[in-house]
Amino acid sequence: MAVAESVDNFEINDYLRLEMMPHFLCPGCGHGIAMRALLWAVHELGIDKNKLAIVSGIGCSGRMGAYVDANTFHVTHGRPLAFATGLALARPDLEVVVITGDGDALAIGGNHLIHACRRNLRMTCLLLNNEVYGMTGGQVSPTTSENRLTTTTPAGNLEPVFDACKLAEAAGAGLVGREVTLQTPTLKDLIKEGLAYPGFAFIEVISDCTEIFGRKNDLGNSPEMILSQKKSMRPDSYGTVVDEPFRPNSLPTGVLARNDRPEYGETYRNFAKSKQGRAK
Amino acid sequence: MSNRTLPVNIQGNHACALGAVAAGCRFYAGYPITPSSEVAERMSAELPKVGGIFIQMEDEIGSMGAIIGASMGGSKVMTATSGPGFSLKQENIGYAAMTETPCVVVNVMRGGPSTGMPTRPAQGDVMQARWGTHGDHPAIVLVPSSVKEVFDETVRAFNLAETLRTPVILLIDEVVGHLVETIALPKASELDLVDRKWADGPKKGFQPFAVTDDMVPPMPRPGDGYRAHFTGLTHDESGFPTQKPEKVAQAVGRILDKLERHRDLIESYEALQTDDAELLVVAYGITGRSARKAVAMARDKGLKAGLLRPITLWPFPEAALKEATKNARHVLVPEMNAGQLCYEVERICGTERIARLNRFDGEAISPAHILEKIEELA
Amino acid sequence: MSGFEIRFSGAGGQGLQLCAKLLSAALAREGKTVAISQGYEPTSRGGLSRADMVVSDEGAAEYPLVTALDYLVVLDRAAVGVSEGLVREGGLILIDARRVDKMPRGKYEIRQMPFSETAMRLGNERVANVIALSALVGIGNICARETLEQTIRTGTPPKFLDLNIEAMQQGYALADEQVAAA
Repeated sequence: MAVAESVDNFEINDYLRLEMMPHFLCPGCGHGIAMRALLWAVHELGIDKNKLAIVSGIGCSGRMGAYVDANTFHVTHGRPLAFATGLALARPDLEVVVITGDGDALAIGGNHLIHACRRNLRMTCLLLNNEVYGMTGGQVSPTTSENRLTTTTPAGNLEPVFDACKLAEAAGAGLVGREVTLQTPTLKDLIKEGLAYPGFAFIEVISDCTEIFGRKNDLGNSPEMILSQKKSMRPDSYGTVVDEPFRPNSLPTGVLARNDRPEYGETYRNFAKSKQGRAK
Repeated sequence: MSNRTLPVNIQGNHACALGAVAAGCRFYAGYPITPSSEVAERMSAELPKVGGIFIQMEDEIGSMGAIIGASMGGSKVMTATSGPGFSLKQENIGYAAMTETPCVVVNVMRGGPSTGMPTRPAQGDVMQARWGTHGDHPAIVLVPSSVKEVFDETVRAFNLAETLRTPVILLIDEVVGHLVETIALPKASELDLVDRKWADGPKKGFQPFAVTDDMVPPMPRPGDGYRAHFTGLTHDESGFPTQKPEKVAQAVGRILDKLERHRDLIESYEALQTDDAELLVVAYGITGRSARKAVAMARDKGLKAGLLRPITLWPFPEAALKEATKNARHVLVPEMNAGQLCYEVERICGTERIARLNRFDGEAISPAHILEKIEELA
Repeated sequence: MSGFEIRFSGAGGQGLQLCAKLLSAALAREGKTVAISQGYEPTSRGGLSRADMVVSDEGAAEYPLVTALDYLVVLDRAAVGVSEGLVREGGLILIDARRVDKMPRGKYEIRQMPFSETAMRLGNERVANVIALSALVGIGNICARETLEQTIRTGTPPKFLDLNIEAMQQGYALADEQVAAA
């Protein structure tokens, strides 16, 4: 990892494609805060923008890459982890970051998520969970809380929800963490930990969709939504809430799981090297 | 590869894998499916030896995504599948076409529709290979008819993908995929290999999708400092999304035009005794070989039969067909499907002269069967 | 183009693909060109299995699938019906005497031979394929006996080498008996 001369004075504009502004996110959307935290982490770790590769899927989260001044790949719905698997294997010199959403990673792309966790190939996956399909107008997602109103659950959501972190942990992700957007410096530190982790790091960011989901469910404006998310988190209670439904009850934050399984890219490269010796 | 010059008995699917490695393929992602699995098996053994990477992904969609990701990273890439898997790959084939990412997709055709007949041959994916993904998109589709041709066309598929920055589809029927033939593999030094044009000019103001003379803009490689953006959304020269009608027309128009511009490079076919042919057979894949024998048998009987065997199925070698049918009163199109390429032949030759010979019962069409039809028409 | 067509047929697991593989390797040593195709069924064991060869003196076969067999080997009764009508008039058919009780009808040269019985005598019924292959080579002069032996020696794992060589010799002996009787 190339180290910059100084990690002081984080200027987000240094990492943005300013010609792309104004961005298309709604006022009050939590995704912008998540992006700020990511770029702040990139800055503090001194990651070279030329070596930063952002792979994103479809949805509001997917559009984020276009604003970052890096190598950015906006791919098909649910598939960013599959694309990133190819990219990270072919180019271990790159810092690969996947930005995905609750629909992208947990519904249409669920298979890629569990296998990326199992494989433990070095990359960092940020799942921006806003509980809804925002881009398509506010339909129910796999993380929409029970009873919430969406455009496809006119009587309230009847389906149970996924806990993305438990899913990732069970599938074997090397590092699993969660944070709310209100705690931006904490979120930045968690992302730093993910970027520095030598395997598959999965980080769920609890984001908010004020404009569509918040309005439909009368959850107030952005500050109110973000504060209520903070209140529903209990950073020290992981392990005691396993049987509770996802939300609005408590969810743990911080690093929730960590293991030292071998990183897949290195495992494969070592295997290939042994074959090359024999082939000559 | 340099020591492999003696003739060897080799299976079509293995020849595909060896052709890919010889062409410079260094990344393969796939998912097991009959009758293409031997391609993956061979790649899993060959790639590590040359410093390449093989990965068996969680599904067909993921393998298509992974090869595009690796290609964007700079590798020459391939995946192989069959019928149902080819259906699943379509969305990302469109993404590769839209983002102009070189890749080779092999489809060893089996009986369909749906799960169909996994171990029986068919040629039912001709139209899907052309139109499988949504929207107006370019498609290069190659269809070899022998084990040697599988090797050669795999190499050519890579060269075309890299030259034109586009996905190339290799359609192999089950017969050819599983056929073992004695072939001499070319030495590495005998192969003309092409690497894609990488961006190397000024970083500032770089336009990754610029309209260049050859319609193929140089590709920015991550890490080289261009920090480009790729998206499946319709984009302008800068790579960023646009909905301006003139920019959209230009962007989609260019990826279609770049194939039209390079037809000479893409089109390949075998024309046999077409000069005086009163009856022309148009056939491809294993059926093309059957037709070759049938035409020879017909000539022995004094019938003026000829053969046009397209090796490039799409874009179809239109001028060659027009030339070959100059004197033809009948054009016979035998296919292992209910009639697919015949629509293209009809488009070019008109419907009056066309005769079809279709079989979709999992059996190859024999030379005798084609000869019978030739005699019936003569 | 001069050439000939062979089919090895029987039940899955009888080593029919191996017959085609060994013979084609031997023919390649002698400068011939072969095309092998197989009856490819979803089950690996049991059921009908076949391996077809089209052999030509030079260049790839015009059409690589069999259309008129010069030689047919049948090691199991399951395989009798499928090849009827595909054998050339006067073609040679070698049939396992114990496992096949139904004879193909037509103007063929049919020889019932004790392939599986001889294999069992060698202690392993699975070498019936090598015995049949060697008998075919011996009777039909498809390639030099020495070339097949070289191929078997290079293509057999050490653990089965002695058995396969013995099977080959038995096959040649059966061929000589047939030729002498004729």
